[in-house]
This record gives sequence, structure tokens and C-alpha cells, in this order.
Amino acid sequence: MASVTSQLVPLQSNFLVPNGTFLVELFAFLIMLFILAKYVIPPINKAMTARQEAIRRQFEELDEAKHEAESAGEEFRAQIADARHEAARIREDAREQGAAIIAEMKEQAQAEAARIVEHAHAQIEADRKAAVASLRNEVGTLATTLAGRIVGEALEDEARQSRVVERFLADLDASATSGAN
Amino acid sequence: MMGLLTLVASEAAPEKGSTIEIGHHVERTWLGMTFNVDTIWATLVAGTIVILLGFWAKAKITQGDPDQVPTKIQLVWEAVVGEVTKQVEDNLGKVNPFVVPLAVALFFFILIANWFELVPSQLNDQTGHLLPAPTADTNLTYALAAITIVGVWTFGIRSKGVKGYFKHFLEPFPVLLPLNILEELVKPITLALRLFGNIFAGGIMLALIGMIPIWGAWAPNVLWKLFDMFIGGIQAFIFALLTVLYFGMAGAQHGDEHEEHAEDEAKTPALAG
Repeated sequence: MASVTSQLVPLQSNFLVPNGTFLVELFAFLIMLFILAKYVIPPINKAMTARQEAIRRQFEELDEAKHEAESAGEEFRAQIADARHEAARIREDAREQGAAIIAEMKEQAQAEAARIVEHAHAQIEADRKAAVASLRNEVGTLATTLAGRIVGEALEDEARQSRVVERFLADLDASATSGAN
Repeated sequence: MMGLLTLVASEAAPEKGSTIEIGHHVERTWLGMTFNVDTIWATLVAGTIVILLGFWAKAKITQGDPDQVPTKIQLVWEAVVGEVTKQVEDNLGKVNPFVVPLAVALFFFILIANWFELVPSQLNDQTGHLLPAPTADTNLTYALAAITIVGVWTFGIRSKGVKGYFKHFLEPFPVLLPLNILEELVKPITLALRLFGNIFAGGIMLALIGMIPIWGAWAPNVLWKLFDMFIGGIQAFIFALLTVLYFGMAGAQHGDEHEEHAEDEAKTPALAG
């Protein structure tokens, strides 16, 4: 069997049987492995680790910045809300003050008007009284003079004259009072 | 297989009389050992490209402030390193200072090596392939798998102790000892041959497509190279992922399994009853 095989495939050219090349390949690959393991793989690993670290750090910084921005936004929103609140309060105050001022002014104006009316009334009353008084005086004289002329007799007697006029006016007053009532 | 391919080749291009050479390498003998010069050369180019890419990224990183926006090359490295670190953390429980560089180096190296296949650098039948995918040579994939599995065993012994590590070969039952040993041996072999087989098959497909006359070859060529690029990426990813998983399995405490078994035993009578 062996001889048949060796006849078909001579050992020299049987590609499944290793020859001296094996040793060369062994050393060649070991040298390459050594060079790669010593000079190439460690810096690559280091660079990968460094970059992973850098990326992780950047993400952490990013998170931190996001956090800060969020808190700043929160603060901003709170301030805005405060300001809005303040503004509403001021507006409300102003409205109240305005209403108070208007009410006060109205009151003042009414008081003033009342005072003016009162004053006018008093003035009118005083005028009336003065007119009445002067009328009384003048009407007496006028009436006496008129009556004297009509009667033809001079009513020179002051006391009498005055008495007559007083009585007349008292009657007049009484009739006026009863008429008013 | 060779005969079939030769047949196909001779049918496809009988006037040229060309054949597809499988597993053919430019060989030199030194110290009684055979060396596949083209594989070694392509390995060195791929390794140099990976290291240059690594130092490019490193230069961009150390250039300025680490807080700066990363460049594209830096992002590529960081994506791979970050993903591998995550996988290692998930599977091992903590970041291991050896597993992460190993998986990253495996991923980038296998990826670049796989994509060499897309470079049309076949000169002619005599001088051979200028830049063949070195992962299409079992010597490279065996070497990678050997480094991985030795690392896995070392990690397992260191995290569980010698006694604890070898005890797990007798678990869950001592009868399974042969299977457990077989499993440990199958891991590196499958790692190596899966990668080799995928890339090697991709190369054979390209050679077959090359047999088609040029007016018909371009469409399958473009399609296959795109698909091969995808395969190359997937294989690099699988190799690195399985490496991490094997480390995780080697370091896993079997306490969880014991608990599960205890539960099973507790359940069984109830079910039987």
C-alpha cells in the first residue's frame, strides 16, 4: 500500500509533508510576532485607552454643562415668573391707588361743591336779609311819604310813623308766614 | 488528482501542452533540508508588509495628541486589536498579554499572505511564481498551527498547573483519554490544513481559469478573484478566532462542567421515576 502511494505521489513532491521551509516559517513568524507585540500593539492599545478616556471625559463634561444650563434656565424662568408677579402686583397697586385718588378727588370735589353751594345759599340769604332790611327801611319811608301825600298831612311824627310801619310789616310777615305754611 | 488536472489542462489547451503543477516550488537544498524559496520569499514580503503597516499606524498614533481624530490606518489596527481584545476577554476571562498579539499577528499576516494570490505574478513555467500565496504551502500553515498549539498547551498548563491540565484528559471519563489526546492533536492539524486547503484550492481554480482563452477568462477570473479575496479574509478571521477559542478552552475551569453533570445526575432519577 505504502509503495503504491509513494508511486502515485512521490514523497519529495507531497505537499502535505513539511520540509526545511517549516523551520524558516516558524522563525519568520515568531520574529514578526515579537516585533508586533513589542512595538506596535502596545501603543495602539494605549491610544485606544487614551481616546476612550478622553471621550468618557468629554461626555462627563457635556453632562455637567447640560446640568448647569438646565439649572441656569430654571433660575431664569423663576426670575421671569417673579418679575411677572411683581409687575402684576405693581399694576394692582397702581390701580388701587388710582381708584383711591379718584375717590378722594371726587369727595373733595363734592365737598367743594357743597361748600360753594352752601356759601351761595348763605350769600343769597344774607343778600335777601339785607334786601329785606333795606326794603323795610325804604318801604316805610316810601309808604309814609306816599301816604302823607295821599292823605295830605305830613306824618312828621317819627314815633308814630315808625309804629304804623312796624305794625303793617308785622301783619305782612304774619300773612307771608301763614301763606308759606 | 494530478492526472485528472493534467487531463483537463491538456484538453483545454492541447496546443501549448501546459499542465498545472501542484505543490511545485522553487527548491534549494541546504544542510540536507529542502527549502521552498518562493514560499520563504513571499512570507518575508508578507511579514514586512504587516510590520510596515503596523509601524505606519504606530507613527500616526505617536505623531500627536492621542485625543486627536484617528487616521484610517490607525482605525483599521484599532478595530482588529479591539475586536481581538474583546474576544480574548470573553473567552479567557481577562486580557492575556500573549494571546492578543498572537491573534492580531495571525490575522494580519494570514490576510496579507492570502491576498498575494490575487497578484498576477506568475512569470512562466520555468521561473515559477514570483509572489505565490505562502499560505498555500503547508510548511507555513504547519508552522503557524505549531506556534498556536504550543502556546495553547503552555497557557493551559500555566493556568491549571501540570496536574490539573493533564487531569482534564481523563475527563469526563477516563475511557475518553484517547479521544482527548486525539482532540489536542487534531486542533493544530485542522488549523493548518483548513487554511492551506482553502488557499491552495483557490490557486488551483485560478490556474484552471488561466487555461481558458483570454476572451473567455476575464469574467470568471474577476469573479473568482473577488470571491478568493473574501475567502482569504474569512480564513484569516477563522484562524485568529479559533486560536483565541483554543486558548479559552485550555484555560477554562471545568467546574462549570462538573456542575452540569451534577445537575444531570440529579435529574436522571427524577426522569426515570
